Amino acid sequence: MNRVLINIIRFVLLVVAQILVINHIRLGGYVHPYIYLIFVMLLPLNIPGWQLLLSGFGMGLVIDLFMGTLGMHAGATTLMAFCRPAIIRLVSGNLKFENVREPSINQMGFPWFLRYTLCMVTLHNFTLFMLEGFTFHLVGQALLRILLSVPVSMFLILLILYFFAPTKKRDRTPV
Amino acid sequence: MYNLIRFIQKHHFVILFLALEVLCITLLTLTQSFHRQKRINTTNDLVGKVYATGTDIGDYFRLGKINRDLAEENAQLRRQLAVVTDTLESYTETVNKDTIYEFIPARVVNNTVNRPNNYLLIDKGKADGIEKDMGVISSDGIVGIVSDVSQHYASVMSLLHSYSTISVRFKNNGHLGILHWGTTNYRYGIIDDIPTHLLLQEGDTVVTSSYSFIFPENLLAGTVTELIQSPSGTLNKAKIRFATDFSTLKNVYVIHHTNKAELDALIKNQQQL
Repeated sequence: MNRVLINIIRFVLLVVAQILVINHIRLGGYVHPYIYLIFVMLLPLNIPGWQLLLSGFGMGLVIDLFMGTLGMHAGATTLMAFCRPAIIRLVSGNLKFENVREPSINQMGFPWFLRYTLCMVTLHNFTLFMLEGFTFHLVGQALLRILLSVPVSMFLILLILYFFAPTKKRDRTPV
Repeated sequence: MYNLIRFIQKHHFVILFLALEVLCITLLTLTQSFHRQKRINTTNDLVGKVYATGTDIGDYFRLGKINRDLAEENAQLRRQLAVVTDTLESYTETVNKDTIYEFIPARVVNNTVNRPNNYLLIDKGKADGIEKDMGVISSDGIVGIVSDVSQHYASVMSLLHSYSTISVRFKNNGHLGILHWGTTNYRYGIIDDIPTHLLLQEGDTVVTSSYSFIFPENLLAGTVTELIQSPSGTLNKAKIRFATDFSTLKNVYVIHHTNKAELDALIKNQQQL
């Protein structure tokens, strides 16, 4: 299937899941898991920079519209998209992925993906909660939220990716 | 000029990033600043529709509980009705038949309890006679005040909002107070400025006062759970457990005060004198 179409479908499904399911998770009021980051994480590796930024911004903006926090998620997700190339370089180290089109657990291996998720989620949550704290003068609380939310977000993201990862049999040969 | 274009081409990634971030911060300050907390975006009909569809699906799995809650409320209303009809019979000649409050039932389609400022979205709007500043209650107690209305949806500033204040009264001694959220837990609120001579017991009931035109008098707001003595010995605070459980809110009623326009005009005149 067309790459663009796949990403559009992924975008819509993640927004619906985030708004209608994940946002209802309330563990003591401090845990706010965000799974819509999967969209930015799985964009193709060779995507042009401006498309990467606009995709991140668009995703954040749609989430903002639904949550009534115009600018907050958009800001955090744009920053995450901006840092993505650097994060990928950082977590890859000497590893080279010649034939890989988009990040996946199967092709990059679990340790790589764990580091990648950790960096992306931490960066996003940190920016987001700081923007929130900056607006609502509750910085100590924001830090506690980050500490509690990052593990939950990571767990959910990895779980979802594990569920929807193509199995080895269906693995497409790289073009 | 050519150099400028080359510069932009070379650094377009960083420039676009900075432009988008500036846009985000601008949006954030515009919509979240102190006096402009209108939520134009979430009261918009498309967003309302998505949430309503989601709630429809969710409701389907909760039908049992919703039914039980409604049946319970019905039973309670029937009990009250029985008492009221008994006493009413003797008064029918003297009592003015026009009631000044109308209740418009509505369903909560989106609700948050864990943000610094929380709002609810309900599925009734201008078309159903909802206006800004109307009170919203549930069968358990008060919920909030309508803050923004679109054609078919309305956004309600819940009690769990840093700008929410409700005029209340302690039922047993009649002392007035101002109830606000003041905590981070969605079950508890605070009443400030309680004189030290006032001895409150745990479990004392707090109801709405008659000084507000938004809520009728004597609606349950919550119960006292703790009296917080001030260290300087001046004015105490009380911790209140809200009667409404905001996290499971489903069916609410919007209160329409039929004489509110008249009262508002009167107060305005009074202030001008």
